[in-house]
Amino acid sequence: MAEKRLNEMRKGEKGRVTEIAASGYLRQRVMDMGIVRGAKIEVVRNAPLGDPMEFLLKGYNLTLRKEDAANILLEVE
Amino acid sequence: MGELLRDDAELILAERRYQAIADILESTLTKGEGKWTYTDMFDHVFLHKALGIPIFLAMLWAVFQFTFSLSEPFMVMIGMIFGWLGGLAEELIANPHLASFVAGGIFDGLGSVLVFVPPIFMLFLALSLLEDSGYMARAAFVMDRIMYKLGLHGRSFIPMMIGFGCNIPAIMATRSIDNEKDRMITILVNPLISCGARLPVYVLIAGAVFGAKYAGTVIFSMYLLGMVLAIVMALVFRKTLFKGKPSPFVLELPAYVVPTAKTTILHMWERGKWFLVRAGTIIFGTVIVIWFLSVHPWAATAGGEMIGNSYIASLGHFLEPIVRPFGWDWMAAVALLFGFLAKEVVVGTYGILLGVEEGAVGASLVSLGLFTPLTGLAFMAFILIYVPCVATIGVVAKETNSYRWAAFVVVYLVALAFIVSGLIIGIGRLLGFS
Repeated sequence: MAEKRLNEMRKGEKGRVTEIAASGYLRQRVMDMGIVRGAKIEVVRNAPLGDPMEFLLKGYNLTLRKEDAANILLEVE
Repeated sequence: MGELLRDDAELILAERRYQAIADILESTLTKGEGKWTYTDMFDHVFLHKALGIPIFLAMLWAVFQFTFSLSEPFMVMIGMIFGWLGGLAEELIANPHLASFVAGGIFDGLGSVLVFVPPIFMLFLALSLLEDSGYMARAAFVMDRIMYKLGLHGRSFIPMMIGFGCNIPAIMATRSIDNEKDRMITILVNPLISCGARLPVYVLIAGAVFGAKYAGTVIFSMYLLGMVLAIVMALVFRKTLFKGKPSPFVLELPAYVVPTAKTTILHMWERGKWFLVRAGTIIFGTVIVIWFLSVHPWAATAGGEMIGNSYIASLGHFLEPIVRPFGWDWMAAVALLFGFLAKEVVVGTYGILLGVEEGAVGASLVSLGLFTPLTGLAFMAFILIYVPCVATIGVVAKETNSYRWAAFVVVYLVALAFIVSGLIIGIGRLLGFS
């Protein structure tokens, strides 16, 4: 199994969160939205201009900018 | 160490919370996997790589058309009704001083407030349809990349675009921006987006000094100048007053739903009411003050007939030395003072000062040689930038909940207007124009 940053994942790829390397407000926000260790995330698409990205987690759709998504590490499934 | 512990506590809490949720769901929920929902289907189109942006722009255009073409007849009607009421007051009230107060103060004041109600209602009707259906979050998603480059947030795009119609609902629409810094910057630069009320002034001046052939290009350049200045000022504010990055784009894209009539109308009604009650009082008060200054001293102005003798004209003469270096005279200063009320009033003010009908103002500006192409261009730039109308200032005061920020907006825009117009004149003269 490979480890990747969330921003490096391609459309349709799925993974489990292993680490949230963000700090402060961003860390708080992503955790509030359900990005915690062990959470399953699937990349749905990039925005038409390439950034931000859209993810599917816990049955709902969430967006993050790539530079923020880079702080989230996953184990690709 | 303390930081680390606190962070860990947060992490553990979040993890346990979601674990608990997952456990409950496991035993209660059966999922339908793999099926395409309506939301998936819509997003496949609305967020499509190639179609996403054209669709967004088409939506924006539709909102714009809906708002401003549907509200225009009502705005004209409101103008006519209050004009008619004013005429009636002047006819029926024996005391001319009181009649002038009722017509020029009260009815004009009410008219200036109520005239904004139709576009505010229509716009918030359209926006709440977009918001409640779930599209608004997608719009922010589509535009975030561009806005982020400009130091703003995806949610800032729609208020900026609405500014081309009218800055008042635009500033009210910034409430959808949850981060305070992002929202403040969007409010502060919004008046630079050239609203519909400035167009008649551009048409007058550009038509008079550049002729029909170039007027269109010149007017377009004003809109462009406004956008460039808004971007520059947004970057400046981001580097100075509101340091830091735009807030992270952690946003849920909710499932699409059909908006209910009740919530949509409630949304619309609340915004309209808010405008009437909160901003309306400020606008109304200012109109009364301007009325007072333009028809007094009562005897010298022959009861408001000779605006050239009024306090406001004296103020114009007093301010003339400031605008003289730009090649403008005292009439321009008076027109700018009245422009504070609403930008389109500048045209009517010139009409009164020159003693001609509004349609003939352009011709007499040319025959009197009040503007050269260079000074006319600088004047248009000044009209674009300097103080937004009183209604906009009122809304800024109420939306930021601070008269200081409203004052700040006025001061920075006037300073910017002097700088930009000064540059136009200076560079123009260097290039040999007069």
